[in-house]
Amino acid sequence: MIVADSKPFHEIEQMLSEFKKVYIVGCGSCVTICHTGGEKQVAELAAKIRLTAKLKGKSIEVIEDSILRQCEWEFIEEVKNVVEDCDAVLSLACGIGVQYMAERFPNVRVFPGVNTTFMGGPTEQGVFWERCAGCGNCIIGTTGGLCPVSRCAKSLLNGPCGGSQNGKCEVSQETPCVWNQIYDQLDTQQLLSTMENIVPPKDWRTGAENHPRKMVLEHLVMKK
Amino acid sequence: MIMNNPNTKTDTYSCEEAPCVMACPIRQDARDYVQLIARGLFKEAFRLVRERNVLPSSCGRICTHPCETKCRRNDTDAPIAIAWLKRFLGDNYSEKVGVNPNQKYPEKIAIIGAGPAGLAAANDLALMGYSCTIFESNPTPGGMLRMGVPTYRLPRTAIDKEVEFIRQMGVEIKYNTALGKDVTFDSLKKEGYAAIFIGVGLLDSRDLNIEGANYDGVLKGISFLREVNSTGTAKIGKNVLVIGGGAVAMDCARTALRLKPEKVSVACLESRKEMPTTDFEIEETIHEGVALYNSVGPKRILGENGKVTGLETLKVKYVFDEQKRFNPAFYENSEVVIEADTIILAIGQTSNLFFLKNQEGLQVSRGGTIIVDPNTFVTSIPGIYAGGDIVLGRGTMTESMAHGKKAAISIHNALRSEKRKDEKWGDKPEVPKLADTRVPLIKKEQKQDMPMLSLGERLNSFDEVELGFSPEVAVREAQRCMNCGAGAVVDENLCVGCITCVRVCPFDVPEFRRGETTAFIGGDCQSCGLCIVECPAKAIRFKTPLEDRGIERLKSLFADTSTKNTKPVIVNFFCQYSSFRDNSESNAIIDKHVKRIGILGLGKVDPSLYLNALEWGADGVLITACKDDECHFCAEYEWIKKRSEYVGKILNELGMDSRIFQTHFISSQTDTTFLDIATQMVKDIENLK
Ligand code: SF4
Ligand code: SF4
Ligand code: SF4
Ligand code: SF4
Repeated sequence: MIVADSKPFHEIEQMLSEFKKVYIVGCGSCVTICHTGGEKQVAELAAKIRLTAKLKGKSIEVIEDSILRQCEWEFIEEVKNVVEDCDAVLSLACGIGVQYMAERFPNVRVFPGVNTTFMGGPTEQGVFWERCAGCGNCIIGTTGGLCPVSRCAKSLLNGPCGGSQNGKCEVSQETPCVWNQIYDQLDTQQLLSTMENIVPPKDWRTGAENHPRKMVLEHLVMKK
Repeated sequence: MIMNNPNTKTDTYSCEEAPCVMACPIRQDARDYVQLIARGLFKEAFRLVRERNVLPSSCGRICTHPCETKCRRNDTDAPIAIAWLKRFLGDNYSEKVGVNPNQKYPEKIAIIGAGPAGLAAANDLALMGYSCTIFESNPTPGGMLRMGVPTYRLPRTAIDKEVEFIRQMGVEIKYNTALGKDVTFDSLKKEGYAAIFIGVGLLDSRDLNIEGANYDGVLKGISFLREVNSTGTAKIGKNVLVIGGGAVAMDCARTALRLKPEKVSVACLESRKEMPTTDFEIEETIHEGVALYNSVGPKRILGENGKVTGLETLKVKYVFDEQKRFNPAFYENSEVVIEADTIILAIGQTSNLFFLKNQEGLQVSRGGTIIVDPNTFVTSIPGIYAGGDIVLGRGTMTESMAHGKKAAISIHNALRSEKRKDEKWGDKPEVPKLADTRVPLIKKEQKQDMPMLSLGERLNSFDEVELGFSPEVAVREAQRCMNCGAGAVVDENLCVGCITCVRVCPFDVPEFRRGETTAFIGGDCQSCGLCIVECPAKAIRFKTPLEDRGIERLKSLFADTSTKNTKPVIVNFFCQYSSFRDNSESNAIIDKHVKRIGILGLGKVDPSLYLNALEWGADGVLITACKDDECHFCAEYEWIKKRSEYVGKILNELGMDSRIFQTHFISSQTDTTFLDIATQMVKDIENLK
């Protein structure tokens, strides 16, 4: 899933400072699951916004809502009337959802309420880790199912580097060295010898080097 | 207030019914009134009880409480004292249950007998809008409650209060008026009664047809009780033996004890386990000094010069045969004599059908009970209904009330050609047994003891033995209830399948059942509310409006102008599981400045609500809860702490003074009280200005 972090509140406050009627809309998918953009978070943020306005002697009307997925035209169409009745939209969806809103409602100012951070998942309640960088050419079949592109600080394909210490990454003691983990995993699978194969440089053109990427499924495309 | 009428909603929001409710013959809302008591909402609880139960005080004392037998708390430690809690309400509250003055039907209904069945029927018919007259052969109301139940178990003031209640609803009671003597079916019809309900009970003790039963000194249990209950004494010898193992036998023995003979014993066919009365009742009887002979059957009564000298008994092989029918068998040559100069027969009651003399057409069974249609309670004569012991043969007080209630609806339906139903009696799945794996996760909490009269005081008078719960004890006891079947529920349309609820529940209740994409919360939910707050999709809610989680009360607090005009005003969210003493404390400062919102488990409160309080006008928010090891749910403490820290950070971010938001965990072991904390906080906030 896509993981997003709440934006610092002062930033949100600044973005909304000139508006009187704001529509805060959550997204019922990834960001709900990572507890930063769901129904509950919308309510909390709305309370914060109103409380701040009150402290500053301002008035602001906040409309709270959440929809199933903001990255679908059909779903955002449902909130058209509310949106067009507001001065601004604060979307708690990932960057994709925010852009859908902005594109669909060009006459309304749309702001992001979260910082979209990475693709990952919860490893325990409340803790999320990056797991994939969307490189467009997945190699984890040869690395024991662990992704060095997203989980190695240097995205090394032939790790570990000399900075790996006691299973931790030299960049942060909190980060496990994925290459150490890959080693252990291959060991368990009795595939350690494969570590000796030198992996040639990866073709990064399928990845983030090649923005914007596009996928077309010809067999599904319908004639207009 | 939290709710208007919780009763009307129960059936729509709960898909599984609590076993305590299902076990009750009148389907009393045991769970919901217990939950109301747990919140200190005594009046509301009383009203809820009274809506279905015309005799709460009496019922709370002498009901055999099948609800407690079925209570799911049996699996963790001990059942909730459901009956004693009802007694607490009945004794201390008397909220009126109003008859709707705009709903009046022209028909008059005659009720024969002012016992539990008759009173229940009269009450329900009066509530529906009928005028009812009760014809009672005795000079006082209550039926068996007054004639048969000793005063040390049921003080007459309790019956009188409840009957007065019914009278105030417009029900007329004509005493000293017996059917078959002073009135007849025909005379009642001529007087314009559109229907008659017979609830006369079983008036006589069953006879024992053995040798010597006619000796001087052999008494009948019911007559004996009736005599003592109305005159305060009866003639007995020095050595009294009661034959029988049921509640009436225990009543006879304990009543006899109070007349101060040298010895009182009880002999019954049943083994201790088989005896048809509650354990508690048997234990109290023994505790008071009665000797108990189990598994012995009476062979003959021995006597000299026409006077009783003892009972010859046989040892019992079994009481019930393989088909579980009552069919006792004895060992041969096992004769043993129990000496006695008085023998009281308490082996059951039987009907006295004198009232049917010269009244043709009413079908009666061979056992002397009136035959009725089991659904409508109509007898073989249209327009005449019957219920209670005269139909049951041997029933309980609550079963009799159930007959009265069901007959009342049936009479209404017959008179109005309606098909009205009491939904409570409908079939509903019961909350299943507590999962074995769950039991160790639930904190054991001792059942509250009933305060009792000392042994010495008991035997010297007919004063009530069980003294009743104080409000504190009642609340403590009620707070043990697990709110079975009324806990959290997932809205499948909102759940995004994030698994948070599964992870946070301290009792491992939420689950993803195979093939389902949304979480499911079963009947073992303990209503701690943690998952409800943590669910990022707000997809979980409580099934009952009882659990308002503070939101509605906070809203109405600030809708009140007096709150807005008070400066400063502090909202205190406190956990109602914390000691009752703390929660009832107050002083002038607190009364004025601190608005208290009690929640049964602070884990139910969304931290956003603390922000809302400040947003709506509070100058401060004070959270008070128990210390970790005293937390009712064990796990909530951590969450309350975590959430407070979180809100503290938010307020800091907004530049607010940290003194306006305080969280205190108060231990019952330390001297710091709520009073100290709240008074200090009021000062803190006044200093801010
Ligand atoms: S190799 Fe690329 S696609 Fe595969 S997990 Fe890593 S970043 Fe994602
Ligand atoms: S715990 Fe409460 S709701 Fe559950 S069966 Fe017992 S009294 Fe009823
Ligand atoms: S916490 Fe809420 S959204 Fe997540 S699985 Fe449970 S019910 Fe569904
Ligand atoms: S309310 Fe509490 S006990 Fe019930 S499912 Fe949620 S977390 Fe578990």
